[in-house]
Amino acid sequence: MNALLNIDRRVIYVLMIVVCVFALLNPMGLPISINETTQMCYDELMKLQPGDIMYMGYEFSAGGVPELVPAIKSAAKIAFERGARIVSGSMWLEGQGLGGAALEEIANMLGKQYGTDYVQVGYRPGGQMFLELGVADFWEAATGMDQDGTPLSQLPLMADFKVLQDAKVIFIFCTGTPGERQYIGTVGDRFGTPILESCVSVSVPETMPFIRSGQLAGLLMGMRGAAEFEILAGIPGSAVAGMDAQSLSHLLIIVFIGLGNLAYLFGGRKGGRV
Amino acid sequence: MTLETVGIWCAALLTLMLYSYVFVDNVFFKFAEHAYIGTAAAYGMVLQIDNQIRPTINVKLLQNGQWILLIPMFLGFMIYARYFKSINYLARYTVAFMVGVGAGVVISRDFKSLFINQLADTMRPLTGPGGLENLIVLVGVATTLTYFFFTLEHKGAIGYSARIGRFTMMVALGAAFGNTVMARVSLFLGRVQFLMGDWLGILP
Repeated sequence: MNALLNIDRRVIYVLMIVVCVFALLNPMGLPISINETTQMCYDELMKLQPGDIMYMGYEFSAGGVPELVPAIKSAAKIAFERGARIVSGSMWLEGQGLGGAALEEIANMLGKQYGTDYVQVGYRPGGQMFLELGVADFWEAATGMDQDGTPLSQLPLMADFKVLQDAKVIFIFCTGTPGERQYIGTVGDRFGTPILESCVSVSVPETMPFIRSGQLAGLLMGMRGAAEFEILAGIPGSAVAGMDAQSLSHLLIIVFIGLGNLAYLFGGRKGGRV
Repeated sequence: MTLETVGIWCAALLTLMLYSYVFVDNVFFKFAEHAYIGTAAAYGMVLQIDNQIRPTINVKLLQNGQWILLIPMFLGFMIYARYFKSINYLARYTVAFMVGVGAGVVISRDFKSLFINQLADTMRPLTGPGGLENLIVLVGVATTLTYFFFTLEHKGAIGYSARIGRFTMMVALGAAFGNTVMARVSLFLGRVQFLMGDWLGILP
């Protein structure tokens, strides 16, 4: 039992790598059911009418890419297919490049025109102050130009988007602060604009109360949520492909937790009272 | 070799250098770590200048003549006064201004949406559909608050309530830990997918 307790952590890492690589090389196609909060996101996007505008907020850094980028692609595809237009922005430095590239990919795939069908204003600092200004005058908040320095007055779509609440729906992709709390307080609760969120798994427990209170109209929970949304959008991609590996690695961790506790119980070690 | 291929190779090698730390601390990890910090800092600086500072000066100030922006600019410069001993007190005015505005905005917005609305949502009907869930939430919130109630000693009814609160928190921490594991595995999977797909091209 002591040997089990003193197992080298590198052994666990190697086993984890082996399991992930095996699952990725041999897809088993484990079933993925659609969660209620994911369905809520989809239903909200299906309410979009041709010409409506969806605002997408890339509020994440590189660490959120595996879980959030697939969700961005799926959301953009659904919105574009509904005939909606998209304006995007970011309060996070890395969000502009990472999220922007995902939207660009889908826009190119569907033959959408920059300036008419979508606009990317890119990174704007200030956090909640950016949103505060955005609900009063979005053009001012974006310093009057998009991420490439093109004046917003030269982009036809922006004539219909003067303030954040001009968006029919806001879809945010978050790894932390500034994130959903700022959008809820500044836009959602004040103007009634539905806010959808895709968050990283680690944020799910602290975000769920906003679903219960109705302050969020839908939630994609980590890679699992992204995979479900990929299925709903009809573009199964990296999130769906990763779900088998995700499931197997979780199984491995559960086994480790079980073994660790057994060794702890029968290994003679005494723990303190919790 | 295209620029994209060079980028993929750089990203792949840097990923491997960073993961090598899992097995042993080494010079390759240190190199990748420092390269990341340097690149991120430079990227951030360029983006701040390009997206905010330059358009503010060129368009708002010089073209549109919004001279009132000189006031926040002056306040911003005052923060650097801390490097000069004789006038370092000036930096405090900027900090005080930022704290004041920040607190005002946060309190005016967050108090209602994050406190009042959440509190109201805790008190839902305990009968009918969802009644059990509402009861669990209500008991969980009330008992957890009792755990942090230090005016009375945790004995008798208060003690029992605090104990339930402690278990509630343990369940919440368990859920948080489970989600943290999932997030970390997702991160790792993202990199494995990149290495095996974009770099090696062996994914089915």
